[in-house]
Formats: sequence, structure tokens, C-alpha cells
Amino acid sequence: MAEEIGVHRSGLTMPVVTPRFVDNAWRRGCDFINLDLEDSVPQHLKGYARTLIKDAIANVTKGGAEAFTRINHDLVQADLEGIVWPGLAKVNYPKAEYAEEIQKLDRIISRLERERGIRPGTVEIGANIETSVGVANAYSIASASPRVKEFGGAGGYDMSRNLGVEMFVGFDQFVYGKGEVELAARALGLEPHTAPFTANTTGSVGDPDRAFREAEAARKCGFRVGGGLHPNVVEPQTRGFTPTQEAVDESKQVLEQYRELEVSGETWSEINGRIIDRYEADRARRLLEWAQVCARRDQEKADAVARVEQAGG
Amino acid sequence: MVPVTNNRFVQGAWRHGADAITLDLEDGVVSSLKAGARDLVRDAVATAGKGAAEVFVRVNKRFLEADLDASVWPGLAGIVLPRVESPEEVARAAEALTSAEGKRGIEPGSLSLVLLLESANAVWRVREIIAASGRVSQVGLDESDLAASLGINPLAEYDPFVFARGRIAIEATAAEVQPIGIAHPMGAQPKLVPAEDMLKIATNSKNLGFKGIICPHPSWIPSVNTAFTPTDSEVNFYTQVREVFAQAIAAGTAAVPFAGRMIDVPVDEWAKVVIAMSAACQRRDAEKLAALGMAGK
Repeated sequence: MAEEIGVHRSGLTMPVVTPRFVDNAWRRGCDFINLDLEDSVPQHLKGYARTLIKDAIANVTKGGAEAFTRINHDLVQADLEGIVWPGLAKVNYPKAEYAEEIQKLDRIISRLERERGIRPGTVEIGANIETSVGVANAYSIASASPRVKEFGGAGGYDMSRNLGVEMFVGFDQFVYGKGEVELAARALGLEPHTAPFTANTTGSVGDPDRAFREAEAARKCGFRVGGGLHPNVVEPQTRGFTPTQEAVDESKQVLEQYRELEVSGETWSEINGRIIDRYEADRARRLLEWAQVCARRDQEKADAVARVEQAGG
Repeated sequence: MVPVTNNRFVQGAWRHGADAITLDLEDGVVSSLKAGARDLVRDAVATAGKGAAEVFVRVNKRFLEADLDASVWPGLAGIVLPRVESPEEVARAAEALTSAEGKRGIEPGSLSLVLLLESANAVWRVREIIAASGRVSQVGLDESDLAASLGINPLAEYDPFVFARGRIAIEATAAEVQPIGIAHPMGAQPKLVPAEDMLKIATNSKNLGFKGIICPHPSWIPSVNTAFTPTDSEVNFYTQVREVFAQAIAAGTAAVPFAGRMIDVPVDEWAKVVIAMSAACQRRDAEKLAALGMAGK
């Protein structure tokens, strides 16, 4: 029996201090909402922001999204005390550089889970790689806690500042680092969370066509995790990471042909110029499984939204 | 980089506006001239520094002691150590520098080491190699020697060193030393190209994370200096970013849309870096200009 697959195709990161973002978040159709305490919250509001998380978790999950919180690298203790409440699915930890940091997070979260009646091990840790030191220590960071289930990064503004490179330069300035973190994730059986390079020279965060192309490219490279900053990209990301009906039909055919092959005792055959063998069958099986969990997730979200609407919004 | 035995190059090097000049005792000097070349270094260090460039000497790994003895004179900024294969070699070179500094009355520990990696082994061991001495200030790939040691003859169309270059940039940055080098194909096959092409290649180098380029020819220098200096339009853009972000903070948010992008803390931090870099480049250019004026009189 395969382990439960997380479905995190689309998500919005938003400053928890901006009520109009938080109040509308449940309507966006995201797989997850990432409530930010870090880079989008001004320094003088950090303490206040923490106090908003408990209610915000309930608020943003109304439409079936999972609630994550991004904490501050340098305010771990206080942030965790303020945010680990029932309903929180993941703590995102930015600029992870050492395994010891993740182990410390794990200890504090374990205690808070006990104290606050949360099933032990519920809260995941997102160890986000955003510096060269993080890339250099990727494997030890990723293996520091069983709470790390998705792992990635090695791109973005923090990484660009650390390396001293501009963001939108027309080639992949992060190719090595992304390769390292993906390998670490795959080697440990974690879900890798990076993206293949797609040329982007504008840096626009709200372009739905771009978002779809990026998500589709990522899915074709074996990635399943998305996320963004603008409501316009939610639907295209969800769609881009979900297998198309055509791909589902094709995979069913491949499995059917492989079953016939097994009956015949052969190990491979060629149908319409396509090789059918065990590898193709495995690939088809995985795609169908992913399509199924995506459909189940979409149904869950639709049911949740219907419940809220029935209750009068 | 100029061979110390080429008097014309040595005499002219200071006029080209380079931030650093490396006097070569290694591959640029034929074997029969190695011994005589050492006698030239002391004066060449002084000459090369006239335009306010930092002066380095590339030594021969197998003549390390003799080359260091010939090179360590006041005015030297550091040593370029080629063909590094192990942390032990770096530690040995650092110790030899300490004794040479003592002998010549130079402040102990002031001379830096620039490491050139030229083999698969060196690229693989880069972390321990960099960590071998606190003197290490820069690390780079010698791509043409790396290609030779791997037995490949690179084509301009295919970049064989995406991984090696990326690894150097990440590991050097992680260790807080400067990665140096140039984007494909100029590392493996340096040649003369029009200035605008060189500007593009050097800009790519900067955007791979490198902090500078050792130029085999003076014609590269203006393009390389331009590429590593923030442009006026970048400085203007990031100055606006800082203003917009400051207004957003005052209004209670650290995430604000601007020019289609989302400006938050890391963008503001990067804006600070670009603006500070621009000021540092201006100061350095002014220093060099002043030195040129003095030397020209």
C-alpha cells in the first residue's frame, strides 16, 4: 500500500497581517494556504502577526485548503509557540542551512503537539533551501526529521541575493543547486519541490498563462508541488499539475496492453511506435494514482466550499 | 594575466583598468626561462601596481618554494595557486607564505590565495580544498586545463561544465570566498570577440554567481568591468524598489506589487546589495583613475 500522497499543486503565500487576503483565501480553490510571518510581514508587526495565526488557520481551511505557516528563521521559538495549533499542517522554515536547525524545530513542535492535543507527528516541516550553505548541506537537512516530507528550493530571491545574481536573466542560474536538492529529496524518498527552468524575463507573479506553462513543465519533469503569490495563478497551477484526460486514457491503454503482454509471456511489445514494458506500465500506474488523488482532493475542496455556502457563507 | 617574461606586456599592464593583474610564472613561461623569470618578479610587482590594480603571481606547483621566495615582496596582494588537487597542498602553500611573509617583513597572514581547480578530483573535493586555509579568498576553474585533463575537446554549442561551474559557485559562496570564472565558451576556449559579445558573456558569468574574471587579453577588461558593475538603469530600478518598499512598511505590509513583481524583504535586501555594489565600484574606479593620473605624470 503506497503511503498517502500529499496534494499541493497550488497554494498562496500571504502576509497574515493583511485581512483582505486572509478572509478571501478559502474561496481561491488552493490546495494549501501558506500564512506568512516572514518576508511579507514588517519587523514591527512580527509579534502581532503571530497572534493572528490560530484564527487564520480556521478561516483559510474553510474551503478545504491545508494551512501552512512560514515562520522567521531567527524567531523560531516564539513563532512556533504562536502557530502550532490544531489544523496546522506544516511549518515552513526559510533559509534552512543546518540539520541541527531542523532537529530543534522538531523538538519544539513535538512538545507543542503534546501540550495542545495534536496527534504526534501531524505537523510537517518544510525545510526551504535558499542559500548556498543550504544547498551544500541539502542531504543532512532533508534527513534531519521525519517531519520533512517535501523538500526543495534553491531558487528565488533569497538564493539570488546569496549568489549575487539577478533573478530574470534568461537562463537557469540555479541549475546546480536545484539538481542537488532534487537528488537529496529523491534519494531520501521525499517529494521534491523545485521547478525546471522556463524562461522568464519579466518576473510577473500574476500571469496565468505562464503559471500554467510552468506547472505543466514541472509535472512533465516529475514534480507535483506548486505555489504562488497571486490568486490568478491558482487555477492554472492546479490544472497544470493535474494529469490531462488524454494522459489518463493513454495510461489506461498502456496498462491494458501490458496486461495482455503478461498473459502472452513476452516482456515487451511495440504498439503504434510505442514501447510497452514494465517501466511504461509503472509510469502509467503512477500517473493514474496521481490523477485519482487529485480528483479526490478536488472533490474534498468542492464539498467544503458547498458546506460553507450552505451555512450562509 | 601576463607572463612575467614578456616585458612589453608587463610594462603596459597597469594602463588597462584591470582591478587585478596576475603575473604568470606558470604556463605563460617556457621551462628554459623559469629560473630567470623569478628575477623579474620583484620589479614587475611594482610596475603592475602603478594603476592601483591588486597584483598577484601565479606560481608553479612544482617550484612552489622558489617561486614564492621570488614573489613575496611588498605590494603583492596574493598568490594564484594552479592545479590544486588536495587540501594538504593548500595548507602547505599557506605555511610557505607565512614563512615568506616573515622573511620579507610583510604582515603575517596578509597575503591571500587564489585557487585554480583543473581536474575532476579538485572539483569533487572543492569543499575541503577551500576550507584548508583561511587565506583562500577566491576559487576558480581553469576550464581549458579541466577539459584537457578530462580528455574532452569542448564544442561551443555544448557546455560541458554546467555542473562544475555550479558547484564552484555554490561551494565558494557557502564558504564565503569569491568564485571567479567566465561563462561558456570563453572558459574552455578563450578568444577575442566583439566587445558587445564579451559584455553578454561576462554578464552571464556574473549571473552564474561569479565575482570576477581573469582575462587572458586586455581587450576583455572594459566589457568585464562593465558587466560586473551595476548599470544605471538597475540602480534606478532598485532605488525605486527601496522607496516603494519603505512606503509599504509604513503602511503595515512588507509585500507590495511593483512593476509586475512582488516586492518583499529579499527583493529590498537585494536592492541594497546592488546600490552598495554600485557605490563600491565607483570608489574603486575613482582610485584607479587617480593612480593612472599620478603614474601618467
